[in-house]
Amino acid sequence: MDSDVILVIVIATALAFDFTNGFHDTANVVATSISTGAARPQVAIGFAALLNFVGAFISISVAATVAKDVVDAEVITPTIVFAGLIGAIAWNLITWYFGLPSSSSHALIGGVVGSAVAAVGFDAVIAEGLVGKVLIPAVVAPVLAFLVAGAAIGISYRVVGRQRPGIVSRGYRYGQIVSGGLLALAHGTNDAQKTMGIITLALIASGELGADADPPFWLIASAATAIALGTYSGGWRIIKTTGTRIIKMDAAQGFSAQGAGAAVILASTHFGFPLSTTHVINGGIMGAGAGKRLSAVRWGVAGNIFVAWLLTLPAAATIGALTYGFTRIFGTGALGPILVTLMALSLVVAAFARRAQRGAPVTAAGG
Amino acid sequence: MIATIVHTDELLQTVAASVIAGIGVTFLFSLGIWGAGQFTELSRSERPVAATAAAVVGAVALLCVAAAVATGIIVMTHK
Repeated sequence: MDSDVILVIVIATALAFDFTNGFHDTANVVATSISTGAARPQVAIGFAALLNFVGAFISISVAATVAKDVVDAEVITPTIVFAGLIGAIAWNLITWYFGLPSSSSHALIGGVVGSAVAAVGFDAVIAEGLVGKVLIPAVVAPVLAFLVAGAAIGISYRVVGRQRPGIVSRGYRYGQIVSGGLLALAHGTNDAQKTMGIITLALIASGELGADADPPFWLIASAATAIALGTYSGGWRIIKTTGTRIIKMDAAQGFSAQGAGAAVILASTHFGFPLSTTHVINGGIMGAGAGKRLSAVRWGVAGNIFVAWLLTLPAAATIGALTYGFTRIFGTGALGPILVTLMALSLVVAAFARRAQRGAPVTAAGG
Repeated sequence: MIATIVHTDELLQTVAASVIAGIGVTFLFSLGIWGAGQFTELSRSERPVAATAAAVVGAVALLCVAAAVATGIIVMTHK
């Protein structure tokens, strides 16, 4: 009975995390299309939400990595997964409150690793998977997106440089409908799969699924729906702030940035690398800016991303470990997770209320 | 040991696919825009053969973009 209650709490918490992931990342996915005038905000957000939903169905490689390659599923319990999720949500909330551009994906993996270490020890962590499939791609992917976008914009300017500006702008704006759509598809497939992976891990841990099982269809559909609804909901707030928060770029830069981001995320997803989509998209935008003029890049933002990248895994891991320790004070039953859930909900409500009093957050944390 | 941890093959394939898709598609799409621009200019200056050639180059480039996107999605869904 207790394990069923914990499993239900884990699934609900993971889907809530997926919703907030979409909510936070709306800005990353649609900002470029809106800022270049390629699409009206309502259209861009609706399109992104739809393609996030579709994207969740096209691959399960990342879900398999999260469920089987980061921690040893045989020693994991649903309470460990729950504590990891709380670690990720708490770190996301802290970084959202202070306006740090952190990664939900790194927070999720850090939280689960931290709670697993607290519960079982370092034997629970699969070092090869953590380093080879998470940490190294986390460094390579944003740099790759930066370089690809920078090279792509250089080539674009060479090819169309002598054409009339009107036809060039119009052409790339039409192109951004495709590149923006691919970026939303890529975001949906990589980020929704992390939630699928975490819930699959909990289902394996509770004995509901076999050790080698893939995510069931109801789980894929739930994760797809949660991230799409989050993306759609997040958008309406973004519409109001888009004009002031987004770097001004031309349509060719927007196309190159989105194309590079989509290419890197889709290729990585194919090989099961769970990336920070936020970092990749920002890498693409900076690359497209640097390709035109180095001083156009907001290097301070790049520095903040780097600091957030360094802090996220250990911070989320620490909170995950502390949460697991707290739940164990109340034994191995459902009481600990229920109390933590109530405390977390209270903190979320308090943080949103205080944030609303102080004004909108400066930057978006994301996947 | 290091090669096992780093997943070198998969990482290199990711880099190669990203470079080919990201730069290649942008180049082809730019060629499509170039073709449309040249077609307009050359038509105005009454050079129909050159205008048609530019339009064909642009159209083929855009078809290649569509094919590349479709191929990418098919590869993603068939692992």
